[in-house]
Amino acid sequence: MTSTALGYVPPQRDSRPLLDRLSDVWADFEARLEQVPILQALAAGDVTIEDYHRLLHNLRQQVVDGSLWIARAASNFDMDHFDLRSAAIGHALEEHRDHLLLQRDYLAIGGRLETLQAGRKNVGSQALSGYMFTVASQPNPVACLGAMFIIEGLGAQKAGEWGRRFAEVLGLADNQVHFMIYHAEADVEHTGTMDTFLTSDRIDADAADAIVSCAKVVARLYVMQLTELDEI
Amino acid sequence: MTATAYLTGLGRYLPGAPVRNDDVASRLGGVDRRTERIRRRIQNANGIQQRYYAMDTEGRTTELNEELAAKAVTAALADRGLEASDLGMLATATTQGDLLVPGFASMVHGRLGGGPMQVLTATGVCASSIAALDAAVSKIRLGDHARAAVVGSELSSRWLHQRRFEGVEDHLDAHFLRWMLSDGAGAAIVEFQPRPDRPSLRVDWVRQVSLAHEHEVCMRAGLHGNALEPGKTWQDFDDVAGAERAGLLQIRQDTSVLGELAQVGLAQFEELVELGLVDLKKLDHVICHYSTNAFRDVVFDALAARVPGFDASRWFSNLETCGNTGAASIYIALDEAWRTGRLQPGQTVLLAVPESGRFSFGFAHLTVVAPRQQRSTSA
Repeated sequence: MTSTALGYVPPQRDSRPLLDRLSDVWADFEARLEQVPILQALAAGDVTIEDYHRLLHNLRQQVVDGSLWIARAASNFDMDHFDLRSAAIGHALEEHRDHLLLQRDYLAIGGRLETLQAGRKNVGSQALSGYMFTVASQPNPVACLGAMFIIEGLGAQKAGEWGRRFAEVLGLADNQVHFMIYHAEADVEHTGTMDTFLTSDRIDADAADAIVSCAKVVARLYVMQLTELDEI
Repeated sequence: MTATAYLTGLGRYLPGAPVRNDDVASRLGGVDRRTERIRRRIQNANGIQQRYYAMDTEGRTTELNEELAAKAVTAALADRGLEASDLGMLATATTQGDLLVPGFASMVHGRLGGGPMQVLTATGVCASSIAALDAAVSKIRLGDHARAAVVGSELSSRWLHQRRFEGVEDHLDAHFLRWMLSDGAGAAIVEFQPRPDRPSLRVDWVRQVSLAHEHEVCMRAGLHGNALEPGKTWQDFDDVAGAERAGLLQIRQDTSVLGELAQVGLAQFEELVELGLVDLKKLDHVICHYSTNAFRDVVFDALAARVPGFDASRWFSNLETCGNTGAASIYIALDEAWRTGRLQPGQTVLLAVPESGRFSFGFAHLTVVAPRQQRSTSA
């Protein structure tokens, strides 16, 4: 927000390098995550197995959509964006089986498959998923890189931390935290690949703005998904 | 990383009404003067006052062993507020199931119901109870299942009835167990989290050791004399009736080595202390399976000499009121100790199950833990 002696001035284009701008988005995202009740409880070591159960249940309903919107984005990249199409197809394939890892953990802590599969997206997941399909449905949806920046960054930097903390507090076996720990390992590779796209010459000013905006929306909707647990 | 295993529910099932010493012959038969004399002598020595039989006064078996087991598991599930469909695994321990084939655990699962689950049949004698517990605890700790049931169950009365003795070569060593063993089942629920509403028993470790490499067979059935040779087991006779007439369908005990069993068991206990698995200063309760009160005195005195402040309030057995139920006994005793409030949060419990079969020993170390505090605000 900017104001001068003339009064309100709409936001101006930010001409800083894209990675710097995304870095600010990330810092803001982390600050927002710190306000999420279940993550606060986790940090305080004040969680029960029901909390972990609930979190997996809520996440799964959106995780199953992950490879779908990435695949849709892939199908919307034209020949001028062939490399992005390739990357998206590869990524969609990797994400395609992610929910099965989550499902294994869910069953290993005593959850029932039919309950998990019958679950519905919470209001945050609905908003996030709906938004992602909308963005991915645009021609050459470069903005999706912003979503991946947040979601992959979360997997690489946060999920492993959460998984280890749940395991520590609740005394869980490795076999019960595959999903979160796997993300920490696999997403480090994904974010590396993505950085080369984000720094390439072809990201012009408009593309950079779209990426940053998408990252901001996804960050907020992801926080909403984690905050609105069981709100369906 | 592995999870921690907790016993969160206990249950038992003892069939029929308790049978006092003088009424035992009304179930098992054997009313001739010599048999009665032997019975009284053995009953006096083992100290059992009453026991339970799944057998009526006509000598007819009233329930299947698998029914006893399923009822004990059902009781343990009810204690925890769970159903059979919540189980991922069932580990059973018995000396002899109802059938020769298939395994006992499959039959108990069929009787119990619930959903698909892993089953394990531990056979052997008394310490098979600990083998089954070890398997269930290990799978829970690996995170392969969230909930498992362990059950020890015995229906030995059908082996002890007079009809197993008439027309059979007389073996005095078959009488020792005849007037000692009885029927019943005990079960525990194992989970990777403590129960939220009441204390649980955390399983610190489970250990089972066989010393068969340096001991001969002691308690057995199906063996002809001491002839461990091809062609001499109960399955090799011309017909099963021939094996029975030769006494191979009796459970026999070489009582002369039982004193040694107690001593070796105490040596095993000392090893637990040496290995640091048992801290004598922090050992609050010992629940020990034994076949006769003669062993109780030997073992109790030895422990009292080793464990500071060890007295009768820290030693528990219900042999006298529930009988010797083999693989079921340790759970039947633990269930009673638990239910009667002997075990308080923070305290430790050593389960000890010596098995005379061919000298094996099962131990488990438990700690009573209070429920986790629930936070007031929901996430």
